[in-house]
Amino acid sequence: MNTSGINGVIQKATALYETSQVCMNDFKSWVQLDSSHLSDGQRLAVKYFIVAVILFFAQILFGLLAATQFIFPGFLYEILDFSVNRMIHINAMIVWMLYGFIGCVYWFLEDESGTEIVGLKLGNIAFWVLTGAVTLVVLVYLLVQIGPGKDSSLWFINEGREYIEAPRWADIGIVIVMLIFFYNVVATFIKGKWSGIAGVLTLDLVALAGLYVAGMFYMTNITHEQYWWWWVIHLWVEATWEVLVGVIMAWSLMKLLGVRRKIIQTWLYIEVALMFGSGILGLGHHYFWIGTPEYWLTIGGFFSALEPIPLVAMVVHAVYDTGANAFKNSNHPALAWIIAQAFGNFFGAGVWGFMHTLPQINMFTHGTQWSASHGHLAFFGAYATINIAFFYLAIQHWRGDVWMGSDSQNTWRWKWALGLLNGGVLGMTIALLIAGYEQSFIERAVEGSTWGGYFTAQNHPSFQSAMVWRLFFGGVTFAGFVLLVWDLLTIGKGETRLAPEIIEMR
Amino acid sequence: MIEPVALQDFFITFFSSALIIMAGASYALLFAWSKVNTNLWIKIAAYCSYSILILSVMELTRAAQFQGYWLIISLVMVIGYFFAPIGIWYLCVKTHSDLTITTEEDTL
Repeated sequence: MNTSGINGVIQKATALYETSQVCMNDFKSWVQLDSSHLSDGQRLAVKYFIVAVILFFAQILFGLLAATQFIFPGFLYEILDFSVNRMIHINAMIVWMLYGFIGCVYWFLEDESGTEIVGLKLGNIAFWVLTGAVTLVVLVYLLVQIGPGKDSSLWFINEGREYIEAPRWADIGIVIVMLIFFYNVVATFIKGKWSGIAGVLTLDLVALAGLYVAGMFYMTNITHEQYWWWWVIHLWVEATWEVLVGVIMAWSLMKLLGVRRKIIQTWLYIEVALMFGSGILGLGHHYFWIGTPEYWLTIGGFFSALEPIPLVAMVVHAVYDTGANAFKNSNHPALAWIIAQAFGNFFGAGVWGFMHTLPQINMFTHGTQWSASHGHLAFFGAYATINIAFFYLAIQHWRGDVWMGSDSQNTWRWKWALGLLNGGVLGMTIALLIAGYEQSFIERAVEGSTWGGYFTAQNHPSFQSAMVWRLFFGGVTFAGFVLLVWDLLTIGKGETRLAPEIIEMR
Repeated sequence: MIEPVALQDFFITFFSSALIIMAGASYALLFAWSKVNTNLWIKIAAYCSYSILILSVMELTRAAQFQGYWLIISLVMVIGYFFAPIGIWYLCVKTHSDLTITTEEDTL
């Protein structure tokens, strides 16, 4: 390439950079967010929230592509295969929720400990390292879609394990970033003050980082391999994530409704005991069909039957609080999303989970669209909703603790976003439920899990129309997401009434 | 040893399993409400919900062909869902009224 050519490229790059700077400045003046309201820890949290929302978008986008391929199998064939779309759809979901949780903890860490974050610089470096690694992993997923499975591909391309496909170098990086996060949390509480929330959070983060290691080593026996793999998939989600959500919810309820710390902490301990008591051995419902001893059928069945108990506790306590307290709330969208969390968790994890968890029926439903139906509602209901509620809490503080009540401007946006997102996910759940029912009935029960049975089930009109409805409701979910982002960027803009003053007046 | 659900019992298995959780939550909700509001009909509705739960457990026990020690799960569901809301209500009352139940305020 000659000198003039290089100069041309440099000029174009400079012009592009300047244009992007102008766009960024226009965007900042449009959203009118004043970062002077934020502490250093909260600024770090905001970075995590921004990436979480971008990955939430990626989750929906790749989910829509995969859903389209169910209806038009030739769509993007050998360009962006279904296996890749599905993988990114699920990986993006796991990672955006993790980003959200980490952001939530950084958001309240200084407030809860009463001091500044000890390793803030380290936390910022860890954020950029993690974000760079996630970007690189996704690019490799997209650029190297097929190839031989060798030791080098395991280390640098794809580990090949469903849901945790990240190559081993990224796995090691994730553990290091989690350890930095753990150090920041513990060191900050040691420097400041401890609380019940701090204690539960610290123990949970040990499990969060430690359990991930179980997904990093290989065993030649497929049963042993699956046995440890479930430690990451199940115990992360149904133990450590649930406790993390309990911690985030505890802090949020104190801020949102003014619930007394003593009560919140006691209930956090009770919930943790109930979740660990039922959730850890509830792991057994994943061990039914991987070649483990028969006693896992009983253990899995028994503890799965106990898993809804924390949800029943939640119902009783909600009624008790409604009758005994008159809480005042200054952030209606956040409270609405927390209510959505209670319902989503109850139906997604409780009802949809127990419907197909006992081994007598699970032998037909395991791994069909039934699992996808349960997964969609449970993940959205239990985890996406609490993250979104926290985004609203954060944006309220970022705007200077302004009033976000029913008489605020443009409340239709958050209400419609809430309705479209919940309606969309529920619609997908019902569609997948119909598909899963048909699949488990025809493919598994009638035709005995044969290839012929698989194709018969896939081509059945009820399965195919269910897939069309799933895509439609995926579109509804996407519309809700667009509205949610618009609302998060604009809610509270121009509002001059401060939340504490309005609460005082009422 | 387990006996798989028969083909004709697929729907009733899903339905009764879902109904156990729904009736259990409904009983818990109405039970708690009856404590806040003394209206007798709420208490009757709570026990109606619990009756539905018992019927659902019986139906699931039949459809899923529970036998031997699997029957313990049915028993645990019937007893557990009855007493869990009562115990949790008691905990609610204690945690909201007795401040000594937890550790020192704000600290471990």
